[in-house]
Amino acid sequence: MAVFAVLTPSYHVSEPKATALVYSYCRRNNPSSRARWRNKCSPITCCSRRAGERARKEKTYYELLGVSVEANVQEIKESYRKLQKKYHPDIAGQQSHEYTLMLNEAYKVLMREDLRKDYDAYIGQTRVHFGRNTSGFGYSSWKGPLRPQALFVDENACIGCRECVHHAGNTFVMDETTGCARVKVQYGDNDQNIEVSVDSCPVNCIHWVDREELPVLEFLIQPQPKKGYGVFGGGWERPANVFMAAKALNKQLQQQAESNQRTTQSTVEEETPAQAEARANATMKIKMERFSGIWNFFKQLF
Amino acid sequence: MAEPAYTVASDSETTGEEKSSSPFPEIAIGIDIGTSQCSIAFWNGSQVELMKNTRNQKMMRSYVTFKDEIPSGGVSNQLSHEHEMLSGAAIFNVKRLIGRVDTDPVVHASKSLPFLVQTLDIGVRPFIAALVNNVWRSTTPEEVLAIFLVELRAMAETQLKRPIRSAVLTIPVSFSRFQVTRIERACAMAGLHILRLMPEPTAVALLYAQQQQQTVHENMGSGSEKIALIFNMGAGYCDVAVTATAGGVSQIKALAGSAIGGEDLLQNMMHHLMPNSESLFSSHGMNEIKSMALLRVATQDAIHKLSSQNSVQINVDLGTGSKVSKMVTREEFEEVNRKIFEKCETIISQCLHDAKVDTEDLTDVILLGGCSYIPKVRDLVRGICKKEELYKGMNPLEAAVCGAALEGAVTSGISDPFGNLDLLTIQATPLGIGVRADGNNFVPIIPRNTTMPARRDLVFTTVRDNQTEALIIVYEGEGEKVEDNHLLGYFKITGIPPSPKGVPEINVCMDIDASNVLRVLVGVILPGSQHPAIPVMEVRLPTVDDGHGWCAEALHRAYGSTLALETVQKKI
Repeated sequence: MAVFAVLTPSYHVSEPKATALVYSYCRRNNPSSRARWRNKCSPITCCSRRAGERARKEKTYYELLGVSVEANVQEIKESYRKLQKKYHPDIAGQQSHEYTLMLNEAYKVLMREDLRKDYDAYIGQTRVHFGRNTSGFGYSSWKGPLRPQALFVDENACIGCRECVHHAGNTFVMDETTGCARVKVQYGDNDQNIEVSVDSCPVNCIHWVDREELPVLEFLIQPQPKKGYGVFGGGWERPANVFMAAKALNKQLQQQAESNQRTTQSTVEEETPAQAEARANATMKIKMERFSGIWNFFKQLF
Repeated sequence: MAEPAYTVASDSETTGEEKSSSPFPEIAIGIDIGTSQCSIAFWNGSQVELMKNTRNQKMMRSYVTFKDEIPSGGVSNQLSHEHEMLSGAAIFNVKRLIGRVDTDPVVHASKSLPFLVQTLDIGVRPFIAALVNNVWRSTTPEEVLAIFLVELRAMAETQLKRPIRSAVLTIPVSFSRFQVTRIERACAMAGLHILRLMPEPTAVALLYAQQQQQTVHENMGSGSEKIALIFNMGAGYCDVAVTATAGGVSQIKALAGSAIGGEDLLQNMMHHLMPNSESLFSSHGMNEIKSMALLRVATQDAIHKLSSQNSVQINVDLGTGSKVSKMVTREEFEEVNRKIFEKCETIISQCLHDAKVDTEDLTDVILLGGCSYIPKVRDLVRGICKKEELYKGMNPLEAAVCGAALEGAVTSGISDPFGNLDLLTIQATPLGIGVRADGNNFVPIIPRNTTMPARRDLVFTTVRDNQTEALIIVYEGEGEKVEDNHLLGYFKITGIPPSPKGVPEINVCMDIDASNVLRVLVGVILPGSQHPAIPVMEVRLPTVDDGHGWCAEALHRAYGSTLALETVQKKI
């Protein structure tokens, strides 16, 4: 139940436990101004960062609360209350203490827009804010747990052969308006059928992409209305190379996030010292890995 | 120094909390110990029911008389006259005295009570005594409370025909954890296990959640989120909470409170009627006690009357040749207590601010407690909350105890087929908790209004080269300097490997569980090391044994900054 990501041994089998521990210590120093430690630690940090990040993805705050990355405040609230009613120590007994702590932490972060942005940036999630005209249509859903890789159909290349739909009908669907296939449900079929359908594509337009890139790619591949000038222009368009476009957009979003961070820092004065401090602590915590895991580690030791 | 980590273990870890161990779990009762009145409620299987004593009273006066060999409390005892309680033989208002040291202004305000409250202003427990056969019999607030709780428990056991072992108690928001330990001790003396301690408005919030849940069931509608402000002002304390309720879950967004109440209103009025009353009564002679009692009863009566009429005539003969004969208007009463009412307004505004709630977001404003009958209190609450109508669904004197009984049933694992117990309160910490660091500053680790259970940590470091020991002094409160906060305890970490100052990382982690138990864990790490330098130390707080206000001062004098800490992470 309350397994902290840093120390989940089953996940990073190749990494010794201690490395992960040191990793979090080093991370903990990084936000502070003391650079000499950072330098000392950097080799370990480098080699274990990937492990840490992979491990962390086991359960994000979103997954913990059982909401989608784009969930609004109301959905998060409802889900949090539902979970609390099941797992709060008043109801489930003392053993659910750790789990409730995590729920509280997740809730606190996701309920505050500035903390949530920081967290999104940290876990590499992009909430697709920019598409006000996207009604969620065309975005694939997930069957089962989230996995690091996702399927994506480059509709620019798709010739509409229906091979993939034939082999894995629960995963792919034909979009009759564009005449292209697209992913409806990630991992909607078993792995073997998916493998076959990917291989069967005559133009190799089905790609395995990182999960974080998926929302951006799926957003970009949708035809967007083109600005028209009188009789010229108009109609629909989409980037010719969706992967390049995604890269550019990601960069743009990152810059946006950074500037957001800067603006949130400048508005700190409006808060009371206690609030600012609480927020500072929370931000710190997000950045430095979940240190609380160490306490569990200690408890196991002694 | 390679000792195993030692833990100051809690006794509640092994007892209690064991759910579904028996097919018929014991249902904890709810007890509301008020400054002036007490009540017990229990879950009778389908709803909350208030217990009545042999004289058919739901509300019992909170006092204990030491007249005979065996002290007796207000549960069963019948007072021949109100004046008997004011004869000096009875101790009351203990809720205002419990866990306070003699430098506390609240203790000083109690000095004009008929029984003896003496202070030496050195930060120790005040001398409290009852007059028995012209001798001052010393007692403690814990003892008085325990005697009273024994009576309450006996009454509940007779009526429910089963042994009562666990209870949910309500406490004021402004109670420090040290005061809570005093309540716990009194309960232990009375043989009661405390399942939960709830701030009074939190208990009310749970009752509100149940009422809202029921209305939703009746209307078959979807339960939208309702935000309520709860203002509870009794004889001793004033508490405010803002809660967000939906689907039977009540989330406390903010709490605020202060030790002001009807007792202060009464004393201000007494002072107004007789400006030299304090000096007159300080000698505590038989005659003075008698006149004090007469004045007290007359003033109390006048305040009650002023709730319904605009002016009242007070005529009281104090017996010692002095007479008080005065006409008091409601405006006069409000002017005399202007500061108290202003303080109430401040508490409400602060609570709304902390909860980040605007007045237009408030669905309901719930006004409770004995002082809720005072027109000025009603007006000020309505004024700040910009609400014409106050919530009507609750009895102002019974709501807290009903909430406590609900929590008792929920936490005991009882489920109700009609969903009446499908409830939960998510509590918040009423006060910040932190340690002394960066000189004489209080550095909060768990800030106020943090959702419980909570766990936070902060990294500190040493202030001197080769500092091998550090003193962790834990405080609770909101003040910037440690002196302004309550001392909860202290312990030393030893065996820090000698290193330049600022190098060892001392991580102080605080953990509060749902039953409000505070644990402090301290780990020391040297940079580059893969393991903690010394065993992690875990201590359950508070550790201070008695209200020793001088304790921190003595520590400071003895050690200065030699064992001090400073924060590593600079705040934004």
